[in-house]
Amino acid sequence: MIAAIRNAWANFRGFDLTGSTVPPMDGPLRPNAKLDAMPVLMQLDDVDNLTPAHDGILCSSGNDLLTLSTSGDASQFELSARCPMDGPVTSIAALGENLAIAVEGRGILLESPSTASRPLKVEGINPSCVTAMVFADPTRLFVAVGSDRHAASEWKRDLMTKSASGSVWHIDTGSGRAERLLGGLEFAAGLALSGKDIFVAEAWRHRVLALTGGAQPRVALAALPAYPGRMTPSASGGFWLAMFAPRNPLVEFVLKEDEYRRRMVDTIEPAYWIAPALATGKSFLEPIQGGARKKLNMLKPWSPTWSTGLVVRCDDRMAMLRSYQSRADGDVHGVTSLCETGGRLIAGARGSGKIVAIDDETAA
Amino acid sequence: MSGDKSISIMSSDTLASLRSRFLPDHLIGEIMSKRWIDNAIPFTALVLTVLVMGSIIPDFLSLSSLSDLARQFAEFGLVVLALTVVMISGGIDLSVASVFSLAVLFSLIGVNVYELPVPAVLAGILGMGMVCGAINGVLIGYLRLRAFLTTLVSLIIFRSLYEIVFVRMSTSIMSGFSMSDLWVFIGEGTVLGIPVSLLITLIIALAWHLVLSRMRPGWRLTAVGGARRSAFNAGIDVRFMVFLTYVASSTMCALAGFLFAARLGSTGSDTGVGLEVQALTAAVLGGTAIGGGRGSVAKAIIGSLLVLMLTNGLINLGISGPITSTILGAILLLAVFVDMRWQKHRHRILAKVYVSPAYLSLPPSPQVDAPGSPYVLNDRLRSVEIIGLGEIEGPEDVILDRDDNLYCGTRHGDIVRFFGPDHKRSEVFAHIGGHPLGMAFDKSGNLLVCIGGMGLFQVAPDKTVTKLTDETNRSWFSVVDDSRLRLADDVDVAPDGRIYFSEATIRYEQEDWATDALESRASGRIICYDPRTGKTHTEIPKLVFANGVAMCPDGQSFIFAESWTCSISRYYFDGPKRGRTEKVISNLPGYPDNINRSSDGNYWLALLGMRGPALDLALRMPGFRKRMARRVAPDQWLYPNINTGCVVKFNEKGEILDNLWDLGGLNHPMITSMREHRGWLYLGGVSNNRIGRYRLPDADPNWCAQDAYWGARS
Repeated sequence: MIAAIRNAWANFRGFDLTGSTVPPMDGPLRPNAKLDAMPVLMQLDDVDNLTPAHDGILCSSGNDLLTLSTSGDASQFELSARCPMDGPVTSIAALGENLAIAVEGRGILLESPSTASRPLKVEGINPSCVTAMVFADPTRLFVAVGSDRHAASEWKRDLMTKSASGSVWHIDTGSGRAERLLGGLEFAAGLALSGKDIFVAEAWRHRVLALTGGAQPRVALAALPAYPGRMTPSASGGFWLAMFAPRNPLVEFVLKEDEYRRRMVDTIEPAYWIAPALATGKSFLEPIQGGARKKLNMLKPWSPTWSTGLVVRCDDRMAMLRSYQSRADGDVHGVTSLCETGGRLIAGARGSGKIVAIDDETAA
Repeated sequence: MSGDKSISIMSSDTLASLRSRFLPDHLIGEIMSKRWIDNAIPFTALVLTVLVMGSIIPDFLSLSSLSDLARQFAEFGLVVLALTVVMISGGIDLSVASVFSLAVLFSLIGVNVYELPVPAVLAGILGMGMVCGAINGVLIGYLRLRAFLTTLVSLIIFRSLYEIVFVRMSTSIMSGFSMSDLWVFIGEGTVLGIPVSLLITLIIALAWHLVLSRMRPGWRLTAVGGARRSAFNAGIDVRFMVFLTYVASSTMCALAGFLFAARLGSTGSDTGVGLEVQALTAAVLGGTAIGGGRGSVAKAIIGSLLVLMLTNGLINLGISGPITSTILGAILLLAVFVDMRWQKHRHRILAKVYVSPAYLSLPPSPQVDAPGSPYVLNDRLRSVEIIGLGEIEGPEDVILDRDDNLYCGTRHGDIVRFFGPDHKRSEVFAHIGGHPLGMAFDKSGNLLVCIGGMGLFQVAPDKTVTKLTDETNRSWFSVVDDSRLRLADDVDVAPDGRIYFSEATIRYEQEDWATDALESRASGRIICYDPRTGKTHTEIPKLVFANGVAMCPDGQSFIFAESWTCSISRYYFDGPKRGRTEKVISNLPGYPDNINRSSDGNYWLALLGMRGPALDLALRMPGFRKRMARRVAPDQWLYPNINTGCVVKFNEKGEILDNLWDLGGLNHPMITSMREHRGWLYLGGVSNNRIGRYRLPDADPNWCAQDAYWGARS
């Protein structure tokens, strides 16, 4: 009863009881268009899961597992191998010649030079929503599961139905023994190892957690203005963090509007929802916001948008240092995967289907 | 979807639709936006005081006490009015009470002691008031002394004068007695049951009301109080205005003193003591701003009634004078506090409650990419030729004359003419001031233009601008003043010269037109201006964003668009079907804007934006949109997608014959208008910085709309 009165009062006065106010893009996240200025190495639709491997860079595009390599001219990538899988590839991890590939509906496949490819069966893991994996050593694999209810490709539905059923696992690939380190996460979307710490990006709570041993997780990064996704360690210390979509006040509002959200999820195609997206403006059926109306034939860079490109350089404690952005009018949106190679960061903008190279030293 | 769920959605939709139909939510915002809403709180307080006092004090509302109250009000109300006038001009007059008591004293001396004729005494008293006021006025208005300190000093001086004279004359005043009938009549008489003094006060109040609200001196007074420097810059003689307010104030106080003397026939050492605080309390309680620029006669009346009833009530309850004053002081403090909060938050509350969405259920949108659909997605408009890129901003409508000159409006308030046939050179054809929207040529070649916020204008070929109309008949039950034209949108002319034009909405100004989509309320209309009589009347009320208007060749009907319902209708203004409206198209895939004739006898229609399922759903959930308008910043609101537009050709049966698109809106993000002219289609958009020109492959290369309407050039 008291809670109801409190909610009604907050509703009347417009207080924010739920932490749904989108923080400003400030400090290290001060708006810039640096990501748009970076050289494009390759156009590849639906590029995801960029992973450095022993024979080039692995990535996925839909159901295909691809190997990219630099030819003589280092400014361009080219496709050197393509391997169709049984479903959309949701994540890839590599350590030396050991590979782990998660395929939607199939679960995790392990490949190593000594043995043939074999599936890794783990009781309790949703095989369709392995969002990130990382090897601690050739036999120990950390796995992030976004949601128990939805497939990785249905991430919007997971946000809009608030399933809060993500988890982080530690798996011994040899024995197949699995331990759940953390459950009840709102879409675990990224993993990174740092000594004893495991960093976990919890997308729908806009934060990055740090797990140390069996202790309670510590919040390493919170109140982010975008949804954090995959992370990758940098050779020069610290981490790179990709935030795959921006938070939006209207989306936060819809998340509080149960009736509208339910009817939207039930009756409308996900591409046309009021929800974050990897790319905006693909169809005129998408909703738009007041500030995103073109004026004098221009879309302003500060327009509200469902998608942006955002790559953040963090230090070894996951504190943000600087960022590379593609704003509403840019075209490197929906960066989902990052990997370092040859001293450069390679970022895969899945929304725009672009692979760009970030040279941190010169751009900083 | 399960059966249960669909039933629950049905019922919640029905509920929302009934609610939006029968609960006039939008009136709250409209009332809040009225100027007189400032009086609502004082007025409520007054009503409450009457109710409370009337219920706890017997005889509070009896005839005798009301008549007593009326006479008290006549005097006190005049003093409050005097103070209000000064406060509106940004000053303050603390000397009202001493002038009042001086007037009482000298009236009695004149009438009782020297037995002068009453009119002469009145003239003398008014003269004395003017002199007192002139002293204040010169010091404050011309010598620029602080109003507060100056009137405090004059308060003390006038009061001392009173004390000095009173001590000498008190016995002769007591012993004297006037036999004048006029004196008695003023003090105790009634006219038609109304006390004479009240009548005098009411006449003065009415005069002030007219001056303050309807006449130039009153507006200047308010301007001086609202922004002294701006008033000076606008050419107002600020010093003289300030001077005048003090003269007027003291004169009215003197009159009040005269009435008081006539009523009581005696004076005491405490006459008028503390009256300035009472008057100040009344003025502030009524809602007059201490800082100036805001105040009215109604506020003064409400405030003085409130204070009088409170003091009388408290005295009736047996509460002693000092405690009554304390209570009044506390009320003054509270009034200042409430006034400050109200001023600070009023606009914020208004901004939050004004948007009042209605229930709107659109039929399912046609699948534009489905096979067999009359709509075919293409990029034909991406290759249009561009005219005037960067030279014009906001050509909502475009039109061509017989000489191939191209006319368009801009948001700077110009009508720009591009010279045919190549449209490379341009000139400002006319500057009117508002953003020109729809345009049409009448029979004699005058350009008729709808101008947002201004009305319907005419530009003759020799560039003379004439206002045709800016108002229509006021409807009886509309709270917003719907006689003014807020957003005249598109226009066309009937063969007999009558001009029909649409007004998109009466609730929003031009720049907020898209917010009206969030409401989707039937607040637009079609208006007819008849140049033969010069009269304007509303032809079709209650349309949902009435937009494009195009005459049918039959000369008895026109086609019009309602944007937010995505529908096209035909209205007969003459002939056997006169007064009837028929739906032509009821489920467009986008929001229709202007309509114009094509060379093959059909109609071109601009879709200013496309429907999306998320907004369609929100339109069936007015509560969702209302909360969104309150919680979310306007830039983040869900809007119709106007970044993609298209042009559609349809016929009178409502069949879609052709369509032209620019998907992604690279060249023409939004199309609000198009005109066919000699084989080309010219495109305008209200937020574009260019005009497009598209070669129509199969069109008649000699067709000109002006010839089609009015016959070839004679």
